[in-house]
Amino acid sequence: MNKIQLQNALPKVFAQRTDIESDIWKTNVAFERGHLYLVQANSGTGKSSMCSYIIGYRHDYSGQILFDNDDISRYGTSKWVDIRKHSLSHIFQELRLFPELTAMENVEIKNNLTGYKDKKQILSWFDAFGIGDKVDQKIGKMSFGQQQRVAMIRALVQPFDFLLADEPISHLDETNSRIMAEIMMEEAKKQGAGVIVTSIGKHMELPYEHIFHL
Amino acid sequence: MKLVWKLLRQHISIGQLAGFFFANLLGMLIVLLSLQFYQDVKPAFSQEDSFIKNDYLIVSKSISMVGSLTGSSSTFKEAEIDDIAAQPFTSAVGKFTATQYHVAAAFGVSGMGFSSDLFFESVPTQFVDVKSDDWHFNEAEGIVPIVLPRSYLALYNFGYAPSQSLPKITEDVVGMVEMVIVMRGNGQEQSVRGRVVGFSNRLNTILAPEDFINWSNQKFAPNEDASPTRLIVQVNNPADENIMKYFGDQGYEIAEDKLDAGKTMFFLRIVSIIIMAIGLLISALSFYILMLSIYLLVQKNTQKLQNLLLIGYSPARVSLPYQLLTIGMNAVVLVLSLVALVFVRNYYLDMLWSVFPEMDSGTIMPAILLGLILFVVVSLINVFAVRNKVMAIWKNKE
Repeated sequence: MNKIQLQNALPKVFAQRTDIESDIWKTNVAFERGHLYLVQANSGTGKSSMCSYIIGYRHDYSGQILFDNDDISRYGTSKWVDIRKHSLSHIFQELRLFPELTAMENVEIKNNLTGYKDKKQILSWFDAFGIGDKVDQKIGKMSFGQQQRVAMIRALVQPFDFLLADEPISHLDETNSRIMAEIMMEEAKKQGAGVIVTSIGKHMELPYEHIFHL
Repeated sequence: MKLVWKLLRQHISIGQLAGFFFANLLGMLIVLLSLQFYQDVKPAFSQEDSFIKNDYLIVSKSISMVGSLTGSSSTFKEAEIDDIAAQPFTSAVGKFTATQYHVAAAFGVSGMGFSSDLFFESVPTQFVDVKSDDWHFNEAEGIVPIVLPRSYLALYNFGYAPSQSLPKITEDVVGMVEMVIVMRGNGQEQSVRGRVVGFSNRLNTILAPEDFINWSNQKFAPNEDASPTRLIVQVNNPADENIMKYFGDQGYEIAEDKLDAGKTMFFLRIVSIIIMAIGLLISALSFYILMLSIYLLVQKNTQKLQNLLLIGYSPARVSLPYQLLTIGMNAVVLVLSLVALVFVRNYYLDMLWSVFPEMDSGTIMPAILLGLILFVVVSLINVFAVRNKVMAIWKNKE
């Protein structure tokens, strides 16, 4: 997948609103593979909705969203499964980790599906993020900031053309967010992938090529 | 798969599943048992003549005081027989021919000898419900095959033997006893050997092959009238009211007991169907418990299922653990109910064998087949229900 386009897209809940001034909604915008984007938003402007549409979780929008010029509203179940496994990696704002599983198991449950990274690589990321000692800890017992780092590792154990990171550093200090940005970009470059980061306030310090205001 | 299961087994209620398990086990067992019992008991009642197909009536003339005094004949004349044969409900008529001379039979059991006067009758071979290759008489061989009414054996086994502390005897044992038959008449005497080759449900007499009766009547009572006193009539439909009407008008009597076997079969079938329906109802209710339990489980694990789907697990893969869980439980229920069936069946077969020693043991194939069909149907519904539930989550409708 090389291009994600939003053509005149608008969440249906905004249909009645006439005061929309956005770089994303009701306009034509394209995200290309290999580039780095920041989507800045205020609360309630539909940032999480945008991520849900792109990941195929919600479809309550008007207009069109296209992957490589294919209208994604026509995608079936197996196509979406394939995209989520091989083309599109997503760091959810609400993380969507499994509190019953340990940090390592949360990553493995994804890696078992893709078989993309070996355990050594995963463990080295845990160490790099400073949570090497938390590998066997239940996610439910970890702080949100620590969980954000586990969610990042889980997002990296799959092949992807785009990485959609929804507020990845909201609970991280500057050092950790810098480390996270480095590792994320390193992996994205290796895969030649596009990266879309969203933020409602503080954001990763990265050389963004385009900044959209939602 | 292990991790997925670790996640999805959260909230599984052992109590609910155990409730389903035992209810379904009970229901399945009742269903299979009612079918199997019906299959096992059926041959004892239906034998050769199926109770729907056609039936046999034994017809005789009424014996009245006046008739006995005036000496009017209780035998059937040829014209009367032809008339019965011409009736639309009749498909065949056979004559009972009795021995017209003196017969005595002697047999020995473990050194003790018994002897008794008796008589033989014959009917055409097509009416004999015991199939035996030996069912003919050859003067050179000098062996007479004999068929006894099955009720005689039952009378002995269930009336006489228990009260006298004698062992029960099976049909096979009776078949091994050899007797000597002494025939006297027309100034001659001759002995032949006799052997019981079978037991009849249909014919309530001591039966010998027709060729033996004809030969012996010719030899020992050439001048006696061998006109039959009883006829056997095969009818297409024993429920036909014209039968009763015709025989009533003619002043004939019908031994109706054969119709009773048909009625017994009918009731047996009705009872089996009712019990099977109860079993199916219990199974259906237990199935309902399972579905509720699974739905509740999926509901409680909605968030986990949704997360799995969002990180790239397919609905099929996420459904699989619950599908395997239900299929596994259904399979265990099937196996256990079949095992229980075998135990219960062995128990009642022992009882049945003492009542119907000649009964075929049959197989439990019908029950296995029905069990498999139920298993497949119920499992398929389970599989689709789980899949539907997961798809509802996929479509974000939960």
